[in-house]
Amino acid sequence: MLGLAAAAARTTNLIVLVLTALVVIVVATACRIHGPLGRSVILFTKIAIGVVIFRLVLQAIFGLRLGERVLFRLPALTLPEFMAGITVGGPVTLESMMAGLNQGVRLGVILICFGAVNSVSSPARLLRSLPGVLYEMGVASTIALTTAPQAVMSASQIAEARRLRGRPTRGAAGLRGIAIPVLEGALDRSIRLAAALDTRGYGRTRDDVAPNRQRTASVALIGGLIMLSIGVYGVFDTAAPVGLAIGGLTAGAVACGASVIVGHRTHRRTRHRPIRWDRRATLVAFSGAGALAASILTEAIEPGALDPSTFPLVAPTLPIIMAAGLALALAPLFVAPRFDDIEPDDARAAGLDIAESAATLSVSSGGDVR
Amino acid sequence: MMTAESTPTRLVPVRPLSAVTLAVTTFVGIGAFVWPLLARPGQVGSTAAHQTDAPWLLVVLLPLLVVTILGEMTAGRLDAKAVALLGVLAAVGTALRIPTGGVAGLELVFFVFLPGGRVFGRGFGFVLGATTIFASALVVGGIGPWLPFQMFGAGWVGFGAGCLPKARGWRELVMLGSYGVVAGLAYGVALDLWFWPFTSVDTTFAFVPGEPLSENLSRFWAFHLSTALGFDLMRGVSMVMLMAILGRPTLAALRRASRRGRFDAAPLLVNSPD
Amino acid sequence: MTILELDNVTVTYEGSDRPALANVSLRIEEGEWLLVSAPTGAGKSTLLGLCNGLVPHFTGGNMSGTVTVAGRSTEQCPPRNLADVVGWVGQDPASGFVTDAVEDELAFVMEELATPPATMRRRIEETLDLMGIAELRNRPLSTLSGGEAQRVAIASVLCASPKVLLLDEPTSALDPAGADDVLAALGRLVHDVGLTVIMSEHRLERVIHLVDRIALIDRGQVTASMPDEALAIAPHVPPVIELGRLAGWSPLPRSVRDARRVAAPLISRLADAATPPAGPPPHTNDSPRYPVRASRSPAASGHIAVTGISLAHGRRTVVERVSFEVGGGGGGGGGGEVLALMGRNGAGKTTILRAVAGLTTPSAGRLRIGNLDPAAIDGPTRIRSIGFVPQDPTLLLYSSTVAEECRAADRDGGLDAGTTASVLEELAADGTIDANRHPRDLSAGQQLQVALAVVLAPAPTALLLDEPTRGLDHGVKDRLASLLRHRATNHGVAILLATHDVEFAATVADRVVLLGHREVTAAGPAAEVLSQSTVFAPQVARILSPLPVLTVAAIRRTLGRIETNRS
Repeated sequence: MLGLAAAAARTTNLIVLVLTALVVIVVATACRIHGPLGRSVILFTKIAIGVVIFRLVLQAIFGLRLGERVLFRLPALTLPEFMAGITVGGPVTLESMMAGLNQGVRLGVILICFGAVNSVSSPARLLRSLPGVLYEMGVASTIALTTAPQAVMSASQIAEARRLRGRPTRGAAGLRGIAIPVLEGALDRSIRLAAALDTRGYGRTRDDVAPNRQRTASVALIGGLIMLSIGVYGVFDTAAPVGLAIGGLTAGAVACGASVIVGHRTHRRTRHRPIRWDRRATLVAFSGAGALAASILTEAIEPGALDPSTFPLVAPTLPIIMAAGLALALAPLFVAPRFDDIEPDDARAAGLDIAESAATLSVSSGGDVR
Repeated sequence: MMTAESTPTRLVPVRPLSAVTLAVTTFVGIGAFVWPLLARPGQVGSTAAHQTDAPWLLVVLLPLLVVTILGEMTAGRLDAKAVALLGVLAAVGTALRIPTGGVAGLELVFFVFLPGGRVFGRGFGFVLGATTIFASALVVGGIGPWLPFQMFGAGWVGFGAGCLPKARGWRELVMLGSYGVVAGLAYGVALDLWFWPFTSVDTTFAFVPGEPLSENLSRFWAFHLSTALGFDLMRGVSMVMLMAILGRPTLAALRRASRRGRFDAAPLLVNSPD
Repeated sequence: MTILELDNVTVTYEGSDRPALANVSLRIEEGEWLLVSAPTGAGKSTLLGLCNGLVPHFTGGNMSGTVTVAGRSTEQCPPRNLADVVGWVGQDPASGFVTDAVEDELAFVMEELATPPATMRRRIEETLDLMGIAELRNRPLSTLSGGEAQRVAIASVLCASPKVLLLDEPTSALDPAGADDVLAALGRLVHDVGLTVIMSEHRLERVIHLVDRIALIDRGQVTASMPDEALAIAPHVPPVIELGRLAGWSPLPRSVRDARRVAAPLISRLADAATPPAGPPPHTNDSPRYPVRASRSPAASGHIAVTGISLAHGRRTVVERVSFEVGGGGGGGGGGEVLALMGRNGAGKTTILRAVAGLTTPSAGRLRIGNLDPAAIDGPTRIRSIGFVPQDPTLLLYSSTVAEECRAADRDGGLDAGTTASVLEELAADGTIDANRHPRDLSAGQQLQVALAVVLAPAPTALLLDEPTRGLDHGVKDRLASLLRHRATNHGVAILLATHDVEFAATVADRVVLLGHREVTAAGPAAEVLSQSTVFAPQVARILSPLPVLTVAAIRRTLGRIETNRS
């Protein structure tokens, strides 16, 4: 998925972009997860369409006035000096609109790719694949995921109780009267939750962590930070070579990451069911790699095919290699079974998660009869 | 017994190393935002062909930085009460984001960081901001390249709320409210700065590498004013309204939870003489 | 072998001048099942918290004396370091869940203890079987019922293979079937696995025949003794003991089975009585007087008429064609009755109650309170005609102090200032509630009292209560029962009560409606319906079956009548 996004970012070829979008939507719809998140790709497609329209409007008003085929005219207006003295409006040309269309569609397709990412990854699975250094954040996020639906439910219960007492549920008083009890209930719950965490061993310190390790980690972190600073400096300084910037940034980032992952002073923990990257998950995640490779290849062989110029206007063509790459991205459809066909137990074995706490958001908030 | 004016609880202390890490990662982060204004020809990202490469480099870099700073601040340092509080407040923020939804609407959610950072300290404010954005992205489906930027931005909003000076009563509300408005606007500017090179190609306010800073800056302002300022103003207005309606009881509820949870619980153990 | 020892422990919380517990010395042997019984707020949770270090590490406060568990002292060990020897389950298990699926919840404690994955898998399987929850393995935690959630919570601490299990009111929120499941599982743990279980419980009748010792807490002092001795000094005893004392049985039987063996003479004696035992006692003059105000309810009376209603949750039908009536006499006079709506959790009791309160409209059928349609009345009219106390009373309370809550209630109902506060004072007869406290800081019983005061102040003619007895001790329950009887008999309030607390329903209800599988399965006078039900029969009815008696008080009256008839 991310590979497809990267491929889309490298081109303004309209045909390639639209094809990419179609591929992404098809794969995401077939491989989506349970619950409302599975529909993310649809939502993002709608947003993408909005973005395209917005971009076109922007182009019409503010675009560069190049090209010859004038479509229509807008009243011209010169902006004052502090806004760069730009001329707004004026004749709108086809070339200009095409340029805007390309840019907008590119952005839109990138959005759709990320919508697909949201559609196929389950939150629970993501949380379990966080690196060990972010364990506390993972626990907090899991708590957030399970408590949020309850907060929504208790809000509706409190609104009902207010109606029983004849108090307003709208407006400022209503907002205060509903939001504050929800907050207080959540805070009370956090104390009980903390007691449960504490009594189940959360936060045990490891007695035998080597002090050397801690020190090495700190040194690595500081070194990484220094290298990062050098890298950033290299980006901005005219005299410095390009390599300094890239080298500094990458080396610094790697060092920082390594230090944090290696040296964290948490206690030893084991994992009950480690995330199993089986064939299916791997395919879905890396299906876009082929498309990205094709994009790089096309650029090398046919420079300019991925970036058709708009001034003068040139019709976009579909390079064969790109088409092959996109076809490759459809692989998950054929090799992996559809989500709906999987039995619950098999699904668990396949590494997917049944427990979709987000789905309970749609459970009627009419209150459980308990 | 804690008095009303006692020092605020600091749930996530910011050690010197954490502070340095935070500063450097922010420096890099800001670089990720402002490089278009400062880049010179002949540098990474300044030729037209690689115009979209440099932002991508930083986009890949930033998640790693977010992991670094969050890991540095939280690993092994959050006890049960802190993590439970973090999760629950992030849940409240997530619940707020569900109706306003999606990629854009963050107005209501910001409101949660301000009292949280104020009552529980700036380290907690930072982590709360980042965690809320992350958890709500998982629920609402907002995962994307913007996520590390949002987490960073939200973290800084929470951090800043914890840095505000002492005040009580309506003065505190006014201070928090104005800080909220300023932070919201700054957040909008930052996000727009990042977005600007992508969207403005071939328009009259595209950034042109090599031009003096003031030229590019004014172009950017034109872009910002015409596109996003409306949203930012709306965000500011809703922030003020929320602070006026919910500010005081929220702060009171959080302070009460802080007392009741006895986060500073240092038990006194006295052994009876044998 | 002593597994847990408290040695002269005194605990004082911050901001309090009296110690919560004073000079407690207790030794608990391995494999013992200990029951802790005390009124709310007396220190049950403190005692349990001492056993695993929550007190004082988590709660703060001053502690003197030592607590030793399995050789480790809680002075040095905070709860997280004791997780492998002591398991603790708090009062509301659902709020202690930290993951989102059952299996992950079970694995959590083992992950924290760095258990090897193979051991983890094995222990999860064993614990699932031990607690009888194997089919719940993949379920999201939010979909569990009360009994299932309790068993999952116990399982989640059991996976660490602790030696001691601490449970804070495990069955208080559960219906009889759920409670039975939990107690059966605990029995397996004690007898088959050899665990030590320490639990606090209000409903003694469910557990006294199972436990080895009973610890009573009174004004900070703890005395642990064998059940017979403890029951002799306990302030409240379960019905089977009361009945045994009344009938002069010796030794006092503690379970229904033991009691039935010696009950035959009593049964024949009562059966000879010509008149059947009456229902709940009529209101006597020594019950507390509550402020009598002429009802200004627009409804002519509080008579609740439910005719053939069907209710649905989304697409799922909850109840179909349910009909019943609750008599209400209207302001001033008598004639009200108390109807208990009973059934297992999920049968639809709350749904029906909410429909009667006007919060939802039925998809079929008719609802009337007096001559009003509850869904169609507006706010001010509603609070004068219907009073509804939900399962969680804090839903009704949203001010930051009790005093403010009372003032808000006065304003809402258009009452004179101070009315609600005076109703509250009458209700909280024993301990006055500090008016400056935050409602959420009060105990469960006190919160209920505040909610009742808020609801009763406008003197509505119909009163609806949803599971009011959750977490209440006997003193508060008795007062609640007499309050309800008083309102029904003397003020003609129609009271509809949804509960699964069988003993409470036996003392307070005139009539009972049993719900099961979407319909009414039984309806009629309380004595008849409850004594004939197997699941919902109170202890006295089970012992003296097939006689339709529900309470010891009723037996006392009948015996008294037999005496007077004879003389």
